[in-house]
Amino acid sequence: MIAESRNEKIFSATITILLILFSVIALVPLLSVVATSFSSKSAVDMNTVTLWPRQFTLDSWKYMIDRPDLWRSFFLTLVTTLVGTVLALLMTALFAYPLSKKEFRWGSVVMVAVVIAMIFKAPIVPYFLTVRGIGLYDNPLVLVLPHILNPFNLIIMRTFFKQFSKELEEAAMLEGCGYFRMLFQFVLPLSKAVLATLALFYGVVLWNQFQHPLFFLQNPDWFPLQIKIRQFITDDSVIMSGAASTAALNYNERTLRATTVIFAIIPIIAVYPFLQKYFVKGAMIGSVKG
Amino acid sequence: MQSHSLHRMKVYWPLYVMAVPGMLFLIVFKFIPLAGSVIAFKDYSVFRGFIDSPWVGFKHFGTLIHHPDFLRVFTNTLLLGGFKLFLVFPVPVLLALMINEIRKAALKKGIQTALYIPHFLSWVIIGGILFDFFSLSGLFNIILGWFGHDPVLGMQESSYFRPVFILASIWKDAGWGTVVYMAAISAIDPQLYESAMIDGASKFRQIRHITFPILLPTVLILFLLEIGNFLDLGFDPVYNLLTPMTYNVGDILDTYVFRTGIQQGQYSFATAVGLFQSVIGFAMVYTFNRISRKVSDGGLW
Amino acid sequence: MKLKKMGMLLASGMLASGLLAGCGGKDASDTAAPAGQDRSASGDQVVDVEVWGTNIGYKPVEKSSKLYEFYKEKLGVGVINPYVEWNGGTNYLNQLNLKIAANEMPDLFVPQQGIEDNLAKNGAIADLTDLLPEYAPNVWSAIPEDIWKVVKANDPTGQGRIYYIPNVVEYGRYASMIRQDWLDKLGLKMPTTQDEYVKVLEAFRDRDPNGNGQKDEIPTGGREEARWMDHLFAMYGVAMFEGYPDWDLYNGELTYSATTPNMKAALEFIAKLYKEGLIDKESLLNTKDKWDGKIQSDKVGNYFHWVEQGNLIFENLEKSTGVKAEFAVMPVPKVEGYDGFYTMKKFASPLWVVKNNKDQEKLQATLKLLNNVYDKKNWKDLYLGVEGMHYTMKDGKAVKLPDDKSTQENQILNPATSVSTLDMSVELFNETASADNKWAIDQVTRNMEEAQKYAKAIAGDGLPASIYEGYPDINNRTLYAEYATKIILGQYPIDKFDEFVEKWNKSGGEEVTKRAREWYAKVQQ
Repeated sequence: MIAESRNEKIFSATITILLILFSVIALVPLLSVVATSFSSKSAVDMNTVTLWPRQFTLDSWKYMIDRPDLWRSFFLTLVTTLVGTVLALLMTALFAYPLSKKEFRWGSVVMVAVVIAMIFKAPIVPYFLTVRGIGLYDNPLVLVLPHILNPFNLIIMRTFFKQFSKELEEAAMLEGCGYFRMLFQFVLPLSKAVLATLALFYGVVLWNQFQHPLFFLQNPDWFPLQIKIRQFITDDSVIMSGAASTAALNYNERTLRATTVIFAIIPIIAVYPFLQKYFVKGAMIGSVKG
Repeated sequence: MQSHSLHRMKVYWPLYVMAVPGMLFLIVFKFIPLAGSVIAFKDYSVFRGFIDSPWVGFKHFGTLIHHPDFLRVFTNTLLLGGFKLFLVFPVPVLLALMINEIRKAALKKGIQTALYIPHFLSWVIIGGILFDFFSLSGLFNIILGWFGHDPVLGMQESSYFRPVFILASIWKDAGWGTVVYMAAISAIDPQLYESAMIDGASKFRQIRHITFPILLPTVLILFLLEIGNFLDLGFDPVYNLLTPMTYNVGDILDTYVFRTGIQQGQYSFATAVGLFQSVIGFAMVYTFNRISRKVSDGGLW
Repeated sequence: MKLKKMGMLLASGMLASGLLAGCGGKDASDTAAPAGQDRSASGDQVVDVEVWGTNIGYKPVEKSSKLYEFYKEKLGVGVINPYVEWNGGTNYLNQLNLKIAANEMPDLFVPQQGIEDNLAKNGAIADLTDLLPEYAPNVWSAIPEDIWKVVKANDPTGQGRIYYIPNVVEYGRYASMIRQDWLDKLGLKMPTTQDEYVKVLEAFRDRDPNGNGQKDEIPTGGREEARWMDHLFAMYGVAMFEGYPDWDLYNGELTYSATTPNMKAALEFIAKLYKEGLIDKESLLNTKDKWDGKIQSDKVGNYFHWVEQGNLIFENLEKSTGVKAEFAVMPVPKVEGYDGFYTMKKFASPLWVVKNNKDQEKLQATLKLLNNVYDKKNWKDLYLGVEGMHYTMKDGKAVKLPDDKSTQENQILNPATSVSTLDMSVELFNETASADNKWAIDQVTRNMEEAQKYAKAIAGDGLPASIYEGYPDINNRTLYAEYATKIILGQYPIDKFDEFVEKWNKSGGEEVTKRAREWYAKVQQ
């Protein structure tokens, strides 16, 4: 090893310090949400909560965790996210691979179509009627099917496939390997980084979706998590005369909102470290050698 | 010639088969509904349907352009779009290059996780956080107080709106944006760095000559895609930060069409505005794609 | 091995595409008859009706759910109320339009943004003129004659037919509430003129009425978009409904209050209050929960809202701070040259429209439902809802349970939003008060009676949303909100107000005013 120069040491240290600073900035606002979810409604009303809980209470969390319908939504969303992500990766890989090949004659036409599909947004009414027309109204499949291909993600995967080592593929082709085998046996195993990336992209969209279920689902048994959460996030109110009292409760809309927000992002944060290992430098090269 | 194309099909048919599900998807979920965009040129009524609603030509586009505030709305959209493209877009690239320099694996993972967390907060929540941040009892005014400065309610000041929007966009998505670049960097052969170090290349030279060139195709493609949504900033990010006091700098096409089209069920008008944004976006992608094909060999098609 | 794995992947790929192509046929039969649509086949003659309306997050009313059974028993009709997110009415309107586009209009629903006009013109909703007296006499008689007259004038086909059932509120719901206990503590009397009012606000600001030694009092204030501070506009005779400028007679002609000299004077006054720290510095940023939070932390001296929801605030205030606050209705302070009032709209908005059902059985069931909902005998039960879900029995008295969106089904048929009278509302309060909250309920009922003194119905009451057609930004008050807020903050000088009026007129205000006056002439006949 060659000793690092003084300049480079300063360079590295500066970068490290800056990134740690950025991380703090990224996390501090979230801290205030966490603090709110653990505070009493009086403390929140008084505006005393900033970065740590005041009048600490678990009541908002208890309320949330005791809701059976929330857990149902939670597991439903978990399943649709997993199934949807797997399907989406498969669809995207199958489509991106030919698009990355010069031998695929329709490539440029299809790419223009893909870009159009990305930029132009379909008006809501025809979209609704089409998706309904193929039988997805009040059908839980609507939580998965519309999300299994995204033009943006498709283009990203295609870009990665294009940078693939030509020599490797040619060698495989010479051995009489067909395109399907090529894709599944060589290309995909070496594309863990981009697959992990797109798994994240698709997973997050599937996890956070609310527009499709809002428009297409009537049966509340199929409502995903975000619909439940939106019940607390919107600031609507209606007049309700009569002597209903909320004074006995230790939570209010603000604390519940904070709780739902944290509740919904915990799983997705928990998944990240598992995908992260695929981003580690040299993952791909290692697998070629092995 | 014929035997040649026959030969092509014999060898290449799997490529075409692979593309079938994707194309089917695009047709069903994108192109059939997109055909409904004709309502931009009609007075669409839900009772009459797509066929029977009367044609009105470019009436809705005229309404948009002749709106008294059109110039203001359009300028705001262009400015915010431009800031997003030139100030927000490069940040993830820089961040990825920086993260790549961190040696300690645990620290690297920790930083990455921290930076990408804000992405999972929706804009409604971020709006709420920002309004709290700039409130009288919020962190911003507490810090101003340390310097003996009078409190400023940032969210009701026009001059704050654009910086707040840009910083909030960076805060939310820059860490997330690094994911693609980190994946690209992971594809770099470590041997390249090793030999560069043996040659005595400095860190900066390694970044300039190894890491960045490998990132470039990805950056270019993402830039092209970003340009396509140049005028389409999305409704949520702006709307959730907007107050009547900041309309003059923050009212953009998306918020305008929400108020005047979507909120009132005026689908033809909303579609016309959407087409206006998309056509300009597509024209930009088309142009830049040609340029990029000329100067490099990368491009979308 | 690898080949086998590949085959599996391939197979699942095929499966995916198969689903895409195949599910159309398979599911069409499932979705053709959503739960709520099929007629009750059990032979008990109960017809199900799909009802759409406001739901701010409660559970839907589904076939055989508790509230469904309750409605079936009380009203003799099955009510299905699917969950449609309200979101300020925007999402609701969108989903309603999608339903209509798919030819599946609900049987009974709340219209939004003047959509009833288009529905009537296209024959999509029932002409109720003859149906109501015959099949729903309770509806017919519950709504006063003069209000039906307005509904007839609003017929978009111009034939004086009735196409919707309006929402009727027969009393003033709004008032400015002031901390009587603070006034007493500081030895001040209830202000009756503007000068006295300003002095009171100054005293609230400077003399520590909440007694915590800190200068944290907020004399008065409001919410974002210059809303819910109507009391500050009211003293200048500005017609203002929940913070939205409204239409009233100025110089003998129906005029949009935002463009009147009264408004200019009011804004100038409010800007002065803002500058002197007499209204909350964050007034124009407060969301509902922020502003309620401030009131509930014993900091706010005076606020404007629904009188009848005061108990929620009073009880939370006590819970948070231990202070049993006393709020009294503040008379509209007198300003020389102006007649002040708190705006009252008897005719708040179109409440129900009925689908023009070809299916006579459904149509009859819908009318039966309406008739029974408007039957005064049912009101208390409808208000209380399901025992154990919406209310509970305590010492032999029915006590409403606190709002809980995770367990309560949406009380879509709520008499409080249909025809409300003061007597009925006060009675409901008295009957459901418990020993614990009687002190708060008593304040509320007293204030409700008191508020009537200052409520005035405006001339623009019942003006249809269709007058704004083609001018959505006028309907949205966009221009008003921008100028009003900037003037209040001092970012614009008051002279800018004239620029606003000019712009407003040019951008469609003139045309809208013309339509409004035509409508008024028609109603006056």
